[in-house]
Amino acid sequence: MVDPTLVNPTTRPYQADILAIDDTPENLQLLAQLLSDRHYKVRSVTKGKTALRAAQAAPPDLILLDVNMPELNGYEVCQQLKADPRTAHVPVIFISALGETLDKVQAFRVGGVDYITKPFQVEEVLARIETHLRLQLLQRQLQAQNTQLQQEMRDRQQAEEKFAKAFRVSPNPITLTSLPECRFIEVNPSFLRLTGYSREQVIGYSVFELGLSLGLNESAQDVQELMAAGVLYNREIDLHTVSGELRTWLLSIEQMDIDGQPCALAVASDITERKRLEAEFISLVSHELRTPLNSVIGSLDLLATGHLGQLNDKGHRLVQIAIANAERLIRLINDILDLDRMRSGQVTLRFSLCSLPDLCQQAQAALQEMAAQARVKVRVEVDAISLWADCDRLQQLLINLLSNAIKFSLPGQQIWLRGQLAPPPKGLPGLPGLQLQLQDQGRGIPADKLHLIFERFQQVDASDARQKGGTGLGLAICRQIAEQHGGRIWAESTMGEGSTFFVWLPLQAAPAS
Amino acid sequence: MSKRVLIVDDEADIRSITQLALEMATDWTVLTAGSGQEALAIAARDRPDVILLDLMMPEMDGRATLQQLKLDGATQAIPVILVTAKAAAKGDRFGDLAVAAVLAKPFRPLQLAADIKAILGWR
Repeated sequence: MVDPTLVNPTTRPYQADILAIDDTPENLQLLAQLLSDRHYKVRSVTKGKTALRAAQAAPPDLILLDVNMPELNGYEVCQQLKADPRTAHVPVIFISALGETLDKVQAFRVGGVDYITKPFQVEEVLARIETHLRLQLLQRQLQAQNTQLQQEMRDRQQAEEKFAKAFRVSPNPITLTSLPECRFIEVNPSFLRLTGYSREQVIGYSVFELGLSLGLNESAQDVQELMAAGVLYNREIDLHTVSGELRTWLLSIEQMDIDGQPCALAVASDITERKRLEAEFISLVSHELRTPLNSVIGSLDLLATGHLGQLNDKGHRLVQIAIANAERLIRLINDILDLDRMRSGQVTLRFSLCSLPDLCQQAQAALQEMAAQARVKVRVEVDAISLWADCDRLQQLLINLLSNAIKFSLPGQQIWLRGQLAPPPKGLPGLPGLQLQLQDQGRGIPADKLHLIFERFQQVDASDARQKGGTGLGLAICRQIAEQHGGRIWAESTMGEGSTFFVWLPLQAAPAS
Repeated sequence: MSKRVLIVDDEADIRSITQLALEMATDWTVLTAGSGQEALAIAARDRPDVILLDLMMPEMDGRATLQQLKLDGATQAIPVILVTAKAAAKGDRFGDLAVAAVLAKPFRPLQLAADIKAILGWR
């Protein structure tokens, strides 16, 4: 919105529009000439009434007004100009002849801004006109700015009200915390309702002090990650309500600055119920799938023994195909259930002293046939390390990783399994632990898939599950096992050159809560 | 005298297959029960040499059946082999249960008889 009168005067063909009012035509002419010479547009009138009409019809930038006039005198004209909103803002300069009685106080009282006495000095008149035009311009600019500021304030206030309302009524918990301390600055009613805390119990306290989140290390790591990336999407966290109840939340967090202080705005959804239903569904479906499959496999096996009558070669091959596929289904169901029970904490680790060389040897032996069939050579070079862990689970992890590597190797390629002491990976505190390194010469994993492969059903190529006979759960199970031991699993890969999987485990793992 | 085996499973198909498999591989007499209650009655009446007990059954499950078998003087000496379809059976521990062994489903039909013999020291 731009006031047309604020347009830079130089863009107009004249400097300003001045209305000059004097009952003496000679004076008027002189003044008009003087101003026209200086590129002012001048309208001259000799009567107060005419002047009012002219000013109302097209408000000038400035009015020069003679005091002594018949009928309406200058003061009266000025009073009427000021009373009319159309002309109230126009600066009025009074002109009075020397010897006439000029009531200066009266001139200002009726709204005049200045006065000039005749005979006047040209430079003085021009200077005064200039000054008042400029003052007028500045004043109007200020007014416009003021209006704009007020509008902006209203807009901002409305935006804030909208946000405040969304914050207040959102069914999702929303929190504002300081970074990196994670101290609560503001929380919404949904947060309080779902956690059971009162406002006073959380504002000013940190997530850590309240013991809200399980796995403090993980939270600290999330904070680091947030401050590095600016956002965290769909982070699953477990938290305790005030009564100690365990809930699972899905968090999306964005970093923002408030008065120069880094803060985290987090929006959560409580997925506890969803996860419970999911787990229930998985276990129900798995059981319902497995029972008939067991009958299928049992029947096929009996047929395959030949005790019920010999099958010919083709019949025998068909039965073998049926058995192999039924077994793959059982494996998939077992993996789903296994992973599900690990994730839901139904499987606790049985700790004992495990010898790394023994574990590796057993895993190698279990996959000897598979490796031989694939014509892949497995080389094991591990240090004599013993660690406190669940040997069965570590065995499962090793076999999963090794069979993966074999599956994705070509005949003639090699696989190296190394194990030595190494400091914990970035982000994990503590003493040096066991680092396993499984290197293959396979086709490699694209960089954009590397972070996905440890998720459930995330094979790089969807057809892998069918071609390689995998379930798409092996690496997810490996991750679960590593994390249950307080360790980590990750991978590095170069396309066309192969992949290396790393597993780091603490030597003295405490059972994860 | 030939051995007598009681198979307890709520799935009729599994009972048939298991029975067929054992009869195919051995000269044992195979009895079957479709529920825990039925198993208790047959066990008390016929005193089999071993009971193959399915863990997951509706109403009276394997654990409850086992408990009853061990409470009854007539049946408490009969060895019980638990059969479970639970995933990764080796991950499950049954140390608290007084069972001779735990077998995972699905089992190889011919292997099953050999396993039972090995567990119980039968020739």
